[in-house]
Amino acid sequence: MKFNYFIPVLVFFPVLILQTTIIPLIAIQGIIPDLILILLVYFTINNGQIFGTVQGFVYGLLFDLITGSLLGSAMLAKTLSGFVAGYFSNENKRDFYLRSYMFSVIVLICAVIDSMIFSFLSSADLTTNIFSLFFENGIVSGIYTSVISLLILVFFILRRRF
Amino acid sequence: MVRFFRYLWENFKEYIILIILILLSLGALSLNQQREIKKVRAVAFGSFAFVTSFISDLVNISSLKNENERLREINAELMLQVNKLRQYGIENQELRSLLNLKDTTKYPIHPASVVSRSLSRSQGTITINVGRNDSIKPGMPVFDGQGLIGIIYSTSEDFSLARTLFNTDLKLTVKNERSRVNGIMKWNGENLVIVDVPKTYDIQEGDRVVTSELSSIVNVPIPIGVVIGISKVEVGIFNEVQIKPFSDINGTENVFVLKVVESKQKNDLELNFFNRK
Repeated sequence: MKFNYFIPVLVFFPVLILQTTIIPLIAIQGIIPDLILILLVYFTINNGQIFGTVQGFVYGLLFDLITGSLLGSAMLAKTLSGFVAGYFSNENKRDFYLRSYMFSVIVLICAVIDSMIFSFLSSADLTTNIFSLFFENGIVSGIYTSVISLLILVFFILRRRF
Repeated sequence: MVRFFRYLWENFKEYIILIILILLSLGALSLNQQREIKKVRAVAFGSFAFVTSFISDLVNISSLKNENERLREINAELMLQVNKLRQYGIENQELRSLLNLKDTTKYPIHPASVVSRSLSRSQGTITINVGRNDSIKPGMPVFDGQGLIGIIYSTSEDFSLARTLFNTDLKLTVKNERSRVNGIMKWNGENLVIVDVPKTYDIQEGDRVVTSELSSIVNVPIPIGVVIGISKVEVGIFNEVQIKPFSDINGTENVFVLKVVESKQKNDLELNFFNRK
């Protein structure tokens, strides 16, 4: 069994610590970027669709257990996000996807899907305007995650140059 | 047959895995209230919170100076209020003794710090650094200097997980402090609202909302927030009342747990879902 398969799980815990301690400090109106999703997209593009789908499931399971959110909500959301990110795991274009603005676009797509499914499952309430819920929970949150992924990307590109 | 399954697997394995994992996730959604799951969850967040408490302490140190200044200011204001309340207290005691009423205003509280938080628009939870070793139990209210933050949901040895008011799974019986009208308050993903309030009820913008003594979870009056709007539902006989919480629920760092002494007699009479087996 490849050791590479365990790296995403090992990296998950420090990132979750950041997600639950530091990241809430940069919340805007209760909306925070999802570092775990950025991590999921990165490993999925590197390792393929099946890997990403399973990784999303494992990340979701751990996230639900540790943070106390509805068990199954993040599991489903992250499984589907990992699956969608897997479509961008083309060996010929991998470098382009990981080292250009495209990475943020992929993160945006996956983050919107992730946030929408998560919010739909965890706040299914017929009295709430479902479109505004999807806009605030899905798109706004996805854009914020995408912007942060762009900053991380720029940071790593600059670090390589200097 | 075997060849058919092999064909399916080789051509559609991504989809087969996806469907299996989706089914497992949907299955997990129905397991949330199971005792075994609650135990696993308590171990998981307890171990994780042990690590995050160090990081959280480091982060909090940087904001201590500002907080100290703010607390000094609040302290001065409170000192003036306490003097006023002391006078009222004496008067109240005298009047109560005249009427022979029992005094029920003393509640044990336990201070705690938030070590991690999961912010989402619908599933807000916080982890605090007190647990079963400090006699914390599920169902106990968590609050700060301004008002109610949430309710303890799960406990480990040294840490507890609390659902904040911004959690769709938390529903509380609340009361309008002025008109004494009761209602059910919940988070709908966008706003904190009291739902299904008859239009004939006397509720106005600016009214203070507190927890109701009718609640089977928090039967001690703790301030929650202020009414900021009443949505007039044109059809039907009910209104929806919007509440703005007093506390900065997503930003609070230091909280208290109200160790409500459970009244067995009362619990036997009421349906307290936290004690339901």
